[in-house]
Amino acid sequence: MGKKLVIVTCITCPQSCAIELVKTKDDYEVSGNKCKKGKEYAIQEVTNPMRSITTTVKTIFKDFPRLPVKTDKEIPLNDTFLFMEEINSVLVKERLKPGDIVLKGIRNMDINLVATFGL
Amino acid sequence: MLITQKWDVIVIGGGPAGLAAAISAHDQGAKTCIIEREERLGGILKQCIHDGFGLVTFKEKLTGPEYAWRYIEQANERNVPVFLNSFVMDLKKEGNIFKLSLINSKEGAFYLSAPAIVLAMGCRERTAKQVFIHGTRPAGVFTAGLAQYFINIQGHMPTKKCVILGSGDIGLIMARRLTLEGATVHGVYEILPEPSGLTRNVVQCLQDYCIPLHLNTTVAKVHGKNRVEGVTINSVKNFKPIPGTEKYIDCDALIVSVGLIPENEIIEPLNVPIDPKTRGPFVDQNLMTMFDGIFSCGNALHVNDLVDYVSESGNIAGSNAANFAKENLQKRNLIPVTPKDNILYVVPQYVDLNQKSEVVIFFRSSRTLRDVKLKVYSDGNNYISKKYKVVRPPEMERIILNLSKVPSNISEINIELKGE
Amino acid sequence: MNKLLEKVKAGLKKAKFDNVDLYEWRSSIVLTGRVNSWDEKIQAGYIAANKGYKGVVNDIKVVGAKTDEMAKPDIYDNSLEGEQFDVVIIGGGITGCSIARELSRYNITIALIEKEEDLAKHASGRNDGMIHPGIADKPSSKKAHYNIRGNRAYGKICEELGVDFQRPGSFILFNSPISELLLPILMVRAEQNGVDGYKFFTRRKVKEMIPYVTEKQFGGFFLPSAGVLSPYKLTVAMAENAVQNGVKILLNTVLLGFEMEKGHIAKIKTNRGNITAGVVVNAAGIWADTVADYATDRFFSLHGRKGVDAILDKKTGKYQPAIMAMPDLLSFKGSHTKGGGLITTPEGNLLIGPTANEVPTREDYSTEPNDIDELMKHLELNTKLKRTDIITYFAGIRACTYEEDFIIEPSSYVDNLVHAAGIQSPGLASAPAIAHDISKMVCTILKKTKEVKNKENFNPKRITFPELNKLSLEDRAKIIKENPFYGRIVCRCEQISEGEIKNTLHSPIPVLSLDGLKRRFRIGAGRCQGGFCTPRVMEIMSEELNIKLTDIKKKGAGSEILFNETKENVSYSDKKLKTMLE
Repeated sequence: MGKKLVIVTCITCPQSCAIELVKTKDDYEVSGNKCKKGKEYAIQEVTNPMRSITTTVKTIFKDFPRLPVKTDKEIPLNDTFLFMEEINSVLVKERLKPGDIVLKGIRNMDINLVATFGL
Repeated sequence: MLITQKWDVIVIGGGPAGLAAAISAHDQGAKTCIIEREERLGGILKQCIHDGFGLVTFKEKLTGPEYAWRYIEQANERNVPVFLNSFVMDLKKEGNIFKLSLINSKEGAFYLSAPAIVLAMGCRERTAKQVFIHGTRPAGVFTAGLAQYFINIQGHMPTKKCVILGSGDIGLIMARRLTLEGATVHGVYEILPEPSGLTRNVVQCLQDYCIPLHLNTTVAKVHGKNRVEGVTINSVKNFKPIPGTEKYIDCDALIVSVGLIPENEIIEPLNVPIDPKTRGPFVDQNLMTMFDGIFSCGNALHVNDLVDYVSESGNIAGSNAANFAKENLQKRNLIPVTPKDNILYVVPQYVDLNQKSEVVIFFRSSRTLRDVKLKVYSDGNNYISKKYKVVRPPEMERIILNLSKVPSNISEINIELKGE
Repeated sequence: MNKLLEKVKAGLKKAKFDNVDLYEWRSSIVLTGRVNSWDEKIQAGYIAANKGYKGVVNDIKVVGAKTDEMAKPDIYDNSLEGEQFDVVIIGGGITGCSIARELSRYNITIALIEKEEDLAKHASGRNDGMIHPGIADKPSSKKAHYNIRGNRAYGKICEELGVDFQRPGSFILFNSPISELLLPILMVRAEQNGVDGYKFFTRRKVKEMIPYVTEKQFGGFFLPSAGVLSPYKLTVAMAENAVQNGVKILLNTVLLGFEMEKGHIAKIKTNRGNITAGVVVNAAGIWADTVADYATDRFFSLHGRKGVDAILDKKTGKYQPAIMAMPDLLSFKGSHTKGGGLITTPEGNLLIGPTANEVPTREDYSTEPNDIDELMKHLELNTKLKRTDIITYFAGIRACTYEEDFIIEPSSYVDNLVHAAGIQSPGLASAPAIAHDISKMVCTILKKTKEVKNKENFNPKRITFPELNKLSLEDRAKIIKENPFYGRIVCRCEQISEGEIKNTLHSPIPVLSLDGLKRRFRIGAGRCQGGFCTPRVMEIMSEELNIKLTDIKKKGAGSEILFNETKENVSYSDKKLKTMLE
């Protein structure tokens, strides 16, 4: 079996380098990057990319049926849908403001869901 | 007799541009109000629940609603009066004063007057018909912004499996949003050879979720009598479909993100000159249009890539409108800033040489270029030289021109991008 | 063998239609056999036309072609079973609705059945809204006869119905200096047809009247009686006034057949049950030949001719005060269309169109890129217009007979059937005159069995709601005080208020779809094409009609806009994330 190759589009600067990565024994063979930052970014992206989730949750209010929310920290991209499943079951019953916690400790992690707009 | 309320500055539109304009006009001491046609302030940001806003202004990654909230709070702190659910029916000039006719449910019909007006109406989406998509006309053809409203504000799904046409930022953002809400996005189709949105969005909205981006491809036809049943896609070369490349894709919706058009219909009766390239009015560095007393900012001026620039332009337009209202401007000495090689457009399109301050200039390149040099010059004088590793049409470039270096007797300033 | 038949046979033979057979039936000629393409079938039909027969029935099969089925509502109940009417009108287009209103002057019971969920869904709502001056058709034709009379009637009718109507007049522009030689011919035609107030304008005079007219014009023939109106607003207004005067409009009701008894329609079979009528009026548009067939009276065939129109932004209206067309007059003969042009509208938008292409399907309103390309030539007539001014486009299908004329007559073989068939352009312009004659025919039949009198309380004036964009700001202020919903603009482009939408949702003919609202007052028909207002309009519909957002439809059944609420029954099992290393 040939070595697995992954191409990452770098977004650390406008040059948008297409960086190629191949896994070696305990490191990565990186090519196509034009700077050091690009290499770090690319390795992060193929090992454990982190993202914030921005979405909505249900409310009980007829004039405001959905409240926009976000995770207060970045989460592993890999867990996105697991997080979404939990977020989808939330029902907001209070008139919240931006920054208010909607859901504490999602998936029992130190990550909260916070409101991003006021009801 | 209907009531006429007098103001120094009237801002039309309560989105990010209008809010910034009203705040800065107010801070300059002008008696300022905002007219908003919806029931809440914030404009389109209310439905842009994704993050990435405010990196320039606040040095942090905010969501659209959070960004809007900050400006709404600032306006509230200053008690800037806002006419909500209010619609401008007409805009007239009487002597040196502008007179707006308004209607709303509370006050009925009434007039507002002011010596300075700031236009901050934002933009609208180009529709499927406006890019000549053919076939039948079933339910299920939506602009990306409309789909975004259905999902984010109304909490309803307009599709279960869809095709997105156009790789503008809203289209890319919607691809991710739809996926997170459980819909299937078959792919994003782009008629151009490169994506129209920011690279960051291509990566985080499409690549993260394995949504394919098909370049040089377009939707030729919509199928289905009552609801969309599928679309025919087609490879293109120079905007012409390549025969034999048609492919049928089964889907229940076509979501189009094919460009934005500044909304300036309100000033049509005044014949304010419009730049055919930006579809916003021609302006000088104070963002005053060619019609004295009318200022323009945000996406009504030209479609911006970042909301931070929208607020910045609101800021400039608002404070200059306040100054204009106070002291009325002396005669302008306008000369054009002319886009030359590889420049798609420039804003402002004119500079007033009677003012010697620093001027913010935005431009977009007409195509993707690597290792190029920007030159801002007039006969024999070179004002700015700047190297770019890469410039792309989706990304606006911002430069500062110091007018104190520019002689008063020149007839135009040129701006060009050339390979080294 | 008879001479007429020989003549048609010879014609077909000359055009090499070897697999086409023909026979006479009653006074018509019937074509059978097979051909290889739709165009050939149409060509054969025209060869048989106007040879002395009353009509051409074209039953030629096209090899490999699918049969074209009529779309029918999927509702089946017996809600109308046993109902009796003096008159049942089949079809809720402009012809049917005009007839319904005209008949509502009399003390008779009338029902109009329409298979769609709204009126004017086919040709009547899919045309340019032009009230033609009546010069295009031969003086001997029914088209010319009804067009001139219908045109003259519109001023009064639109005033009664509260429908905007303008007479901007229409220019036939000359495309070469030689065209002026045709002037005497145009004059004679106008005189014979009775066209009102025609006049020749020199090149300079045309330019004076339309400053942005193309430089390539060489004067033009001006027909001041040409008018414009919104054809769907008119159709709905006709129907609403008819309802006010006692007519029943039965939507989602399709004719499935007749029960015939010795040349008499005994029963009308519909998806809502069987009903009876003293007289049946066939105003079924493109399906009028099918309706005739149900009564064993199919002495003509209809074929669809598609026309595409493009709508330009409202701001273009100010560049052109009159309708203009530049037909190629020198090669005009034998063509079945007036050629299209630039048409004004009461709302201010300009229209370009229509095209004219024979199509095998009767309800397929899809468009092709060629259609728009074809229209582009008209854009050049006005130097101010650009391709980017196009905000949308639509197709309609004309119901054409091979004789290219209307059929306005009582059936010769069925004693209680009247045909208003083959109504294509200028059908809209002709509608009032057609309705007048058809109702006379209906009354003549009814009078055999009952007394038909004028209704004393007939009210020709439609009850209308205020249209706010026609009011002064002062009057608006007053009306908003009474009803604050008039102060909330929902449709930005056309400036329609929430109050007006609510009124329409509760109007005499129910509006249950977004397209229905659009037809009523162009909500969502402006430059944003509903991008901004659709969600709010849906909320209002949901509140007023007490239905869920997910029940709101764009048009008929199966055209729902939204599926389900977000967050409900979401599954991520088929979702993939990007590949990582390891």
